Amino acid sequence: METKLLHIFRNTPLGRETLLQSIYFCNITRSSMVIYIPEYTKFLMYFDNDVVQVDLDPSYLLYPETSRTHALDLTKAHGIDASFFEPRQFTASTLPDIPVDFDFMCSPRSISDLSSKISLGHIGTRVRRIIKTAQFPVLLTSPCYKEWTSILVFFGGSVNSVKAVRLGLHISRLTGLPLDLFTQVEGSQTMDDYKDRLKQAGLEADFDKRVRDWKVFADNGFEENLYHVPHQALAVLGAYGHGLVKDILFGSKMEVIQSVLSNNLLIVGPRYSAKG
Amino acid sequence: MKRFISWRVPTKWPVFRLDDRLLLIISGMIVGILSGLAAFALNRSLVFCLDFLHSYRAYWWAFILPAGGAALSSLFLSRVVNEGAGHGIPEVIYAVSRYGGLIRLRSSFSRLVSSCLTIGSGGSAGPEAPVVMSGAAIGSNIARFFSFNDRQRVTLVGCGAAGAISSIFNAPIAGLVFVLEVILGEWSTVNIVPIAVASVAGTEVSRLLAGNQIAFSHHTFHISFHDILACAGLAVVTAFMSVILTRLLRHMHHASDKTKLPIWAKAAVGGCAVGLLGFFVPDVMGEGYHSIRNMIEGVYEQGMTIAVVACFAKVLATSLTLGWGGSGGIFAPSLVVGSFSGLAYHRFLVYFFPSVPWVGEGCYALLGMAGFIGGILQAPLTGIFLIVEITGGYEVILPLIIISSLSATICYYFESASFYMKDLVERGQLLRPGTDARVLSDLSISELLEKDCISVPPSMSLREFVGLITRSRRNYFPVEDPETKEFLGLVKFDDIRPYLFNSMMYDAVFVEQIMDTHVAVARYGEDLSDVLRIMDSRGLFSMPVLANKRFVGMISKATLLDQYRKELMVQTYQG
Repeated sequence: METKLLHIFRNTPLGRETLLQSIYFCNITRSSMVIYIPEYTKFLMYFDNDVVQVDLDPSYLLYPETSRTHALDLTKAHGIDASFFEPRQFTASTLPDIPVDFDFMCSPRSISDLSSKISLGHIGTRVRRIIKTAQFPVLLTSPCYKEWTSILVFFGGSVNSVKAVRLGLHISRLTGLPLDLFTQVEGSQTMDDYKDRLKQAGLEADFDKRVRDWKVFADNGFEENLYHVPHQALAVLGAYGHGLVKDILFGSKMEVIQSVLSNNLLIVGPRYSAKG
Repeated sequence: MKRFISWRVPTKWPVFRLDDRLLLIISGMIVGILSGLAAFALNRSLVFCLDFLHSYRAYWWAFILPAGGAALSSLFLSRVVNEGAGHGIPEVIYAVSRYGGLIRLRSSFSRLVSSCLTIGSGGSAGPEAPVVMSGAAIGSNIARFFSFNDRQRVTLVGCGAAGAISSIFNAPIAGLVFVLEVILGEWSTVNIVPIAVASVAGTEVSRLLAGNQIAFSHHTFHISFHDILACAGLAVVTAFMSVILTRLLRHMHHASDKTKLPIWAKAAVGGCAVGLLGFFVPDVMGEGYHSIRNMIEGVYEQGMTIAVVACFAKVLATSLTLGWGGSGGIFAPSLVVGSFSGLAYHRFLVYFFPSVPWVGEGCYALLGMAGFIGGILQAPLTGIFLIVEITGGYEVILPLIIISSLSATICYYFESASFYMKDLVERGQLLRPGTDARVLSDLSISELLEKDCISVPPSMSLREFVGLITRSRRNYFPVEDPETKEFLGLVKFDDIRPYLFNSMMYDAVFVEQIMDTHVAVARYGEDLSDVLRIMDSRGLFSMPVLANKRFVGMISKATLLDQYRKELMVQTYQG
């Protein structure tokens, strides 16, 4: 089935790097790309049970006369036939509505803050809200264009991490790239417990066929073990996993990963309806 | 099995699982109370602002007060809460119409603050629309918090709006009717009961906190037959004034859009103009209830000419305030313009027909209000019930019905949609439940894709192709490039009919020779209504759908009809 990725284009060098990441993602997953070049600093996304207003950093509106040409040049050069989204629905005259029926969305770590604030350990509030509400996973790109040659899924046994494994397998099927799993053993959990969860989710057969390596760490701290994440891997992980505060916080593991890893992150929120 | 049922999902509690009416009634009551509190808060804030600024109004520079208020209001909306200016109610109707009543949390307070600044400083606008917006946002966000579905959320949005109108006018029936007639546009038992409860709750909050007062004092009017006949003329006058206000407001909006100034400066320009106008016609300032009271009680002293001037001045002041970026609604200004129209019309009648025993001018002011509301909102029932309730008397019900209905009908000939809905209709965004446009908007191409088509390469011989047809149930065969998988064209069963009974051709003809390369295609993300338009204009029953130049399936009118029926059943479900 054809998949679609939404990219909000920023006509700056940082925006070019982000667009290159999207292009690479679309090429390798054979997804089609929908580019939105904003004309206003805010837009609305109406999800199933929430409406998110995204207030963009003003740099998204820079140099509008060259935005489309720049985006077209890059996409054409990489063989992507991107379509440009023109808003038709407006909640208010300066407040367009962006559809949410995409399969992926690409975003830098923050879209509301100045680009100088974008750094490891900082994910903007709007991006967090989109991840929390969206039914699609969000591709958080590394600051510079970086190709990925394998997929690594963080699997801690939670419902969302099972969804992440499912997504990882789906992308591995689409791209033919090898898939690795990363598990930090916690408390009294054993490997059998983790395997059982995958079995219960019906992923056992696909897992045996596609997973190249299951990196299991029982020693050392989680942060220290993140050094073993391959440099050129797309990291797939779930957010808002556990406990009473799951609606407010990403989850401690997720916060550590986004503070330490500079890889491209494909984040699965709680409302993501898993594919594959 | 999941043993624990979250408190955040009350629809799954055993008591509400079979039927959600009780849940909606309880939620509606809570929403009605909160909306009532919001209305009371705005009312008190306005009284405070007006009292606070009263002593400054005598100064020569007082004309900048509305300018300052409008500029602050605009800055608050655009910089602090990041919202666009507007009346609020179109946004609520839009949310109900397109997104199951989803409204941002910030809307529950943003318009209260901004309208307080605009109206409190003397801007000509009403507090009703901001309170409706606030109440609707409260209802929507309570529904979101408790994970209600779209239908339940829309009902709670209606509850919020009804609670707000009921509270601000101390008029529960008007609140209920306004929501059903204007906001939701449908009358179903599932909606009526919770909204009625919310109206009562909102009214009770208002009565507890502010006392059981009707907005305008009750007077007994003895209506004669000639008064009822004269209503036809007043309906024409109010409809005329409604059309003028609607068009002038839109004209001001466009003029403001074309002006290259910061939005706060535009709002200040509008406010300044209102302040200057207020020097000459003080009745145009603020919400204007004081003038209405005088007119109903028959103590408005100025003559017919002044009443006519005040009427047009109020229209101009409201257009300047709202059109240039101030915040507020048109409900209260409509009542003021309507009452001025009624008063002027009465004086005209008395002047030209002095021997006829006309009923008091207060009655005509009431009728003018109903006619104007019926005209500008094209909601005659709202006008009728509002006037009956805010004056506490039923004596004028017959002329009220006549004037509201006539005014709404006359307005329709000049403006095919009400003031609130005109922009939405023009942008094709007004989608009432159960209508064709609404059903189509809720369907997407991905839901209608028929994926059981067999793709063929261009190099396939007719012999192989005929063999393939026997295994397929479809009449359409997409042709794909074997390497890039790009769509090259389409072979229809009809295309091979000439060769079908000529076996000599089986090895001489290839797919690329018979395929149609100029076939109309739909893109995967395209609007269904656009695709249907192409199908209708070209007389097609099916179309291939492409994504990234690759074939993903066929879309046909037969599948569309099937899904259309299912969607229609969902949208019109009354259970």
